[in-house]
Amino acid sequence: MDFLSNLQLGFSVAFTPFNLLMAVAGVMVGILIGALPGVGPPSGVAMLLPLTFGMDPTSGIIMLAALYAGTMYGGTITAVLINTPGESASVVTCLDGYQMALQGRAGPALGIAAFGSFIAGTVGVVLLSLVSPLLAKWALSFGPPETFALMLLGLTTCTLLAGEDPLKGYISMVAGLMLAMVGFDIISGDARYGFGVPEMMDGVDFLPVAIGLFGLGEVLGGAEQGKTQEVRGKLRLRDVMPSVADWVRTRWAIARGTVIGFTIGVLPGAGPTVASFLAYTVEKKVSSEPEKFGKGEIKGVAGPESANNAAATAAMVPMLTLGIPGSATTAIMLGGLMMWGLRPGPMLFEKNPQFVWGLIASQYIANILLLILSTLFIPLFVRAVRIPYSILMPLIVVFCITGAYSLKNNVWDVGQMLIFGVLGYIMKKLGYSPAALVLALVLGPLAERALRQSLIISDAGVGIFFTRPISGVLMVLAIAVVAVPAARALLRR
Amino acid sequence: MRSADRVTAVLLLAFSAAFAAGALKYYSWWGSGGPGSAFLPFCLGIVMALLALLMLAKTFRSSSSTEGEWLPRGEGLRHMLVVLGVTVVFVALLKTVGMILGTAIYLTIMIRTLGKHPWWMTVAIACAAAGFNWLVFVHWLRVPFPEAGIWIF
Repeated sequence: MDFLSNLQLGFSVAFTPFNLLMAVAGVMVGILIGALPGVGPPSGVAMLLPLTFGMDPTSGIIMLAALYAGTMYGGTITAVLINTPGESASVVTCLDGYQMALQGRAGPALGIAAFGSFIAGTVGVVLLSLVSPLLAKWALSFGPPETFALMLLGLTTCTLLAGEDPLKGYISMVAGLMLAMVGFDIISGDARYGFGVPEMMDGVDFLPVAIGLFGLGEVLGGAEQGKTQEVRGKLRLRDVMPSVADWVRTRWAIARGTVIGFTIGVLPGAGPTVASFLAYTVEKKVSSEPEKFGKGEIKGVAGPESANNAAATAAMVPMLTLGIPGSATTAIMLGGLMMWGLRPGPMLFEKNPQFVWGLIASQYIANILLLILSTLFIPLFVRAVRIPYSILMPLIVVFCITGAYSLKNNVWDVGQMLIFGVLGYIMKKLGYSPAALVLALVLGPLAERALRQSLIISDAGVGIFFTRPISGVLMVLAIAVVAVPAARALLRR
Repeated sequence: MRSADRVTAVLLLAFSAAFAAGALKYYSWWGSGGPGSAFLPFCLGIVMALLALLMLAKTFRSSSSTEGEWLPRGEGLRHMLVVLGVTVVFVALLKTVGMILGTAIYLTIMIRTLGKHPWWMTVAIACAAAGFNWLVFVHWLRVPFPEAGIWIF
């Protein structure tokens, strides 16, 4: 009965008028952000994080989590209508979604994506609320070696999955860790790499970095292409309601997508993007008519779209229970948690139950809101996609600047944001991974503390990471993630 | 792309060497009972140097001569530089002009240069966005924005 009373506590928090309003705002803004090409979930969460500083942390995370769920659906709108994924988890949706739109079936494509997302998201939250407390309880027994091994695993998987060239992924990750070394050392108190600049002594804040890399970096990339695409036709509410035939056709695709999405999302380091790709591959493999994929197969929309929502929900599991984010977006949320003065990890469930359960309960509500708002306001969102980039881009930059400034009310952070904006633009051009950098920057200080504490316990013996059963398994996995692809690349030569 | 990778690798190599050397020179390698503040930075410097060497080796070995374009040209480059340039000027003048007034001016310039939208629309969007900024950040969140003397609330 512990579970039910916790959930009841959660709903009592989530159902306060202000928190409900925040959930609605989060979903609406999330769909918009997802729908606008050039702003993805990480930049959306990073840019809106400063808005939450004046709020209660629970309201803040409710808004950000609702926003994350919203972006997953928003990305679908552009993927289907203009063949441009609004965010990376909707890349595969373009394949069949856009083909459906060309055949005049944009409505059903968006409709089935909305309903699939709702089903997958809701199942995801149920699993989240069942799995998280157990995992948190188990994780309470983790010492510094386990924590370090888990972080290493999260970093290596995220990096491996982040881009095409794993080597550049690892370079991005190590660069993030190096940035994390700047500032006061938590154990000795040395001010590292400060060069006598007072602002540097505090270290490199993840927020200006994230806003720069994702927000400004993407704007600069978009400025270079600088065109808005034509949106075909009009969409009415009636058009997006899936027919019975569509339901029958996609029911298993949605179910499979949900399972794949949740499983992938729970893994530290793998998020919605990987889940949607995998779901698409699976749908194509199990289909009796694989030749239809890529030509407007509705299952090719339903599967991945369900998977990315389930994964976005599941990504909360490692973030809340272990303090290990599964993606760039949850890494930024985790950073937010720390800014609000909360310590992410298993203790969160014991110390801040109203926060954790409020968030979980609000996710149930957010999924219902997502379904209602995404179908009711579809004409509005379609219109938003039509906003010319020449208007959108300057507005995003202004939001990046105010966001970076309001972190500590200084121009230094804005300058930092600018520098990382340019860096993010170059990184993307050359195939490096901004996501791996941000994840490493957020995890860096935590990983260093765990590493050094472990070495103090073991009297400087590295064996401590391998002799303890849990950390041993995690370390072997982390090493395998790096070594296996490297070995395969060598053998192929 | 290959020459860009080569240059990046050399730069990273130099940077990571300096990073590792700096750690050893200025911070303690071993503290009381455990690794000191130089330990992890030094290791990271070494790992980064190895990764940079790997990438350097890769650029020499790969037979494919895919010297693809990665730098934008023409219109694209011009757009990108306009956005970057005007933004840098905005940030540089932030303390003198102030955030709200600055936002309005910045948006007017950017929307007008990039899109050639009618003046009334440009000004309306700029003022609306600046007003929204003021409402949310100054009025609601009480963020002390830098404000010019002429912009008093």
